[in-house]
Amino acid sequence: MQNSSDMIDDGASKQGRSSVFIVSARKRKLQKISQKSGEATLLLIASFVAIVVLFIFWFVARDAIPFFRIRGFQEFFTSSEWYPADDPPRFGALAIIYGSLMVTVGSALIAVPMGILASICLSDILPFNVRQYVKPVIEMLAAIPSVAYGFFALVVFAPLLQNSGGPILMWAWWLIATPFLLLMVIVASELLTSSIAKGAMKKTAHLGLNLILGALAVLLLYFVGNHLQGLMIMSGTNALNVSIILSFMALPTIVSVSEDALQAVGRDLREGSYALGATRAETIIKTVLPAASSGILAAVILGIMRALGETMVVWMASGNSSHIPDPWFNYLESVRTLTATIAGDMGEADQVTGSARFHVLFAMGLILLVVSFVSNLISERIVVRQRKVLSGQ
Amino acid sequence: MNLGTRKLLDRSFTALGIGSIVIMGLALLVVLAPIVSKGVGALVFRETIEHRKLLSTEFHRGDARELEKEIALSNGYRQKAFDMLAVFDRELEQMPPERQEQYRESYDQVKTALRGLLGPLPGDTDPELARNRYGQTRWDKAEEKLRELLYEQKWDYSNPDVIAKPYDVSRAPGFAGTSLVRLFPYVEQNLDKMLLPEWTFYWGFITDSSIDAHFFGGIWPEIQGTLFLAIGAMLFAFPLGVIAAVYFTEYARDGFLTSMLRSANSTLAGVPSIVFGLFGLAFFINTLHVSESKSVLAGSLTLAIMILPTIIRASEEAILSVPKTYKEASLGLGSTKWNTIMTVILPAALPGILTGGVISLGRAAGETAPIIFTAAVSVGTAIGLGDVLSSPTPALSWNIYNLASEHEAAAQIRHVQYGMVLALVTVVLLLNLSAVILRARISKKLKG
Repeated sequence: MQNSSDMIDDGASKQGRSSVFIVSARKRKLQKISQKSGEATLLLIASFVAIVVLFIFWFVARDAIPFFRIRGFQEFFTSSEWYPADDPPRFGALAIIYGSLMVTVGSALIAVPMGILASICLSDILPFNVRQYVKPVIEMLAAIPSVAYGFFALVVFAPLLQNSGGPILMWAWWLIATPFLLLMVIVASELLTSSIAKGAMKKTAHLGLNLILGALAVLLLYFVGNHLQGLMIMSGTNALNVSIILSFMALPTIVSVSEDALQAVGRDLREGSYALGATRAETIIKTVLPAASSGILAAVILGIMRALGETMVVWMASGNSSHIPDPWFNYLESVRTLTATIAGDMGEADQVTGSARFHVLFAMGLILLVVSFVSNLISERIVVRQRKVLSGQ
Repeated sequence: MNLGTRKLLDRSFTALGIGSIVIMGLALLVVLAPIVSKGVGALVFRETIEHRKLLSTEFHRGDARELEKEIALSNGYRQKAFDMLAVFDRELEQMPPERQEQYRESYDQVKTALRGLLGPLPGDTDPELARNRYGQTRWDKAEEKLRELLYEQKWDYSNPDVIAKPYDVSRAPGFAGTSLVRLFPYVEQNLDKMLLPEWTFYWGFITDSSIDAHFFGGIWPEIQGTLFLAIGAMLFAFPLGVIAAVYFTEYARDGFLTSMLRSANSTLAGVPSIVFGLFGLAFFINTLHVSESKSVLAGSLTLAIMILPTIIRASEEAILSVPKTYKEASLGLGSTKWNTIMTVILPAALPGILTGGVISLGRAAGETAPIIFTAAVSVGTAIGLGDVLSSPTPALSWNIYNLASEHEAAAQIRHVQYGMVLALVTVVLLLNLSAVILRARISKKLKG
């Protein structure tokens, strides 16, 4: 590309006028200096992000380490006695860590299957114009502030669970388990009779198996349903409440990142599978999902991180009782999480800035920070690795 | 597996997928429906004469002469009830002490309920708290209070396996034989004439300050606080974010430094919101001392670093989606790189950048955890613009938590809580809706 100043240069000197378009060597040097310094300034501003991250680690750790220096590690991680206000104060955070884990796992159990199914539906099943309407719905779910979810959990959902929790759980069980069990019965009887040759015996065996398994399924539905209906929920603010609400908060993250991963797999893989005669479900389950598995794993990690780091919902609706539930899997009891403890106890600890009570909250913050940092690193590595695999193919 | 089963599995898989999306849509509806319906109830409701008295006394609004006429009208009916109370008082004095004890507790409850409905009774000392100076300001709450007046709530402990169930016992038979027994049917039939309810649109809910810890009045200080915090956060984060995005897309070379910076960006995006609050407390307030204790400045700074990664990501995407031909044409005409960026690329990427900015604004407005330690207080008047550097502020997000969980009379001001939630959700969803519309227009422009 010819430098435009050259051409104009010729014309001007031909007419005998001094050309203002010649850039002198000194001016060019000035230009270069200003360009380089401009770039350096931009780099400085861009690295502001990295500086902030470093500062966050530094300042949270700086206020967290004194706690471990005063009280050591053992009590914090192994004891369940959390009494920071007592006269010899006790800082056993095991029950609180367990509470965080419990609600995170609970919300993952609900959000991961639903999120992956929804992202598959969005990327493979729904037509384009329907997708344009569904995406705003998911974005709205993500946009609702966590305080609003917490308010809903406390004021609407908790009384509902407390007054009619048993029947609600029973109906949820029936609605969700019936189609699944039906499918399992059909598939199981199909698989079990597949080895028998076609004929009358196969048909009778098929029918018999269907009836037996069907009866078993109905019995299972009935007994579990009855047990659920009789459940008495003492307090509506419990781990189940929080898990359900958290799962709807984590869903949009899982759905959008998984959808990106599924789209990135590309049409070739899918078309090849269809050409071989697979149904859409078989294509998705046996070909597309494995290919997109790393991206989906990254999405799941991000969604779980969101649930772990959530504060307001758990603060308002978990019951805030620091104890490990009676059978360890009893989600109907109140629990306490790390985030809610930090938010709740800081008000009383703030005044006494040199005390273990203030520093222990930073210690909890440090745990959350480290866990989220490590999960972020893992999910990034997974995505980078998948990108390499897909482009290398 | 035969073809029939495979087809069945395929169909059920599709059904499962669609079912998940339907459940998400239902969940959205289930969460928003009560918030919208009851939140609107904070603005549009049947107000009683007590509310009109309140507006006239505290906010100097309303037609004074009309109000006086109404007061006279309602007093006519109230006086009969007060007379019945006076007669019963005299009867009580003449009773032997054991019979007095029998009526004492229930009578006190009756008087408390009546005070809750009509305000101070004749003979009461002037109450200190504003909430006791007026009766029920909302007709729906008045009807609930009327139930408290007419019935006493008792608990059924008979079944030891089950949580005790409440049930109501009518009070009137408890006063049979005394003059008070006529009070109950009288109040029940004439309450609407004593309170004169009328439908109203209380726009003051948005513009008034609150009176007596949100018992009366509006939520303007909270709305203003949220606006200050969110706009302040954008003032810090938007320029920084856009400039950083320009660097990442135009100037950064693929290398160790750049990938570190990108890593840092996604790390910052993943930090839990409460840790931002801890950092804001430890750094901005305890170390930098940007303000003595909580302030809008500290809160805005904390919110700014929280929304920075989102702005950077959205701006990066927007700049990358500008067709390369724009840049090449501009450079081909002899423009410098910086000039190209400022005059060609950024204006073309502006809709996308604005979309990211608007979504981040919504997020900054809705977040609570970063401002708990750095900016938010529970009660207060709306701060002036000059105080943003030094004083904390009420904010919608924090006060929703505070009113719902820590307020002394949380159950009585549910309508205020719903109103606040509606305000916050409306602001955030409107911002997000405008972002969606912006994005749709951009994709149309880029396609066509």
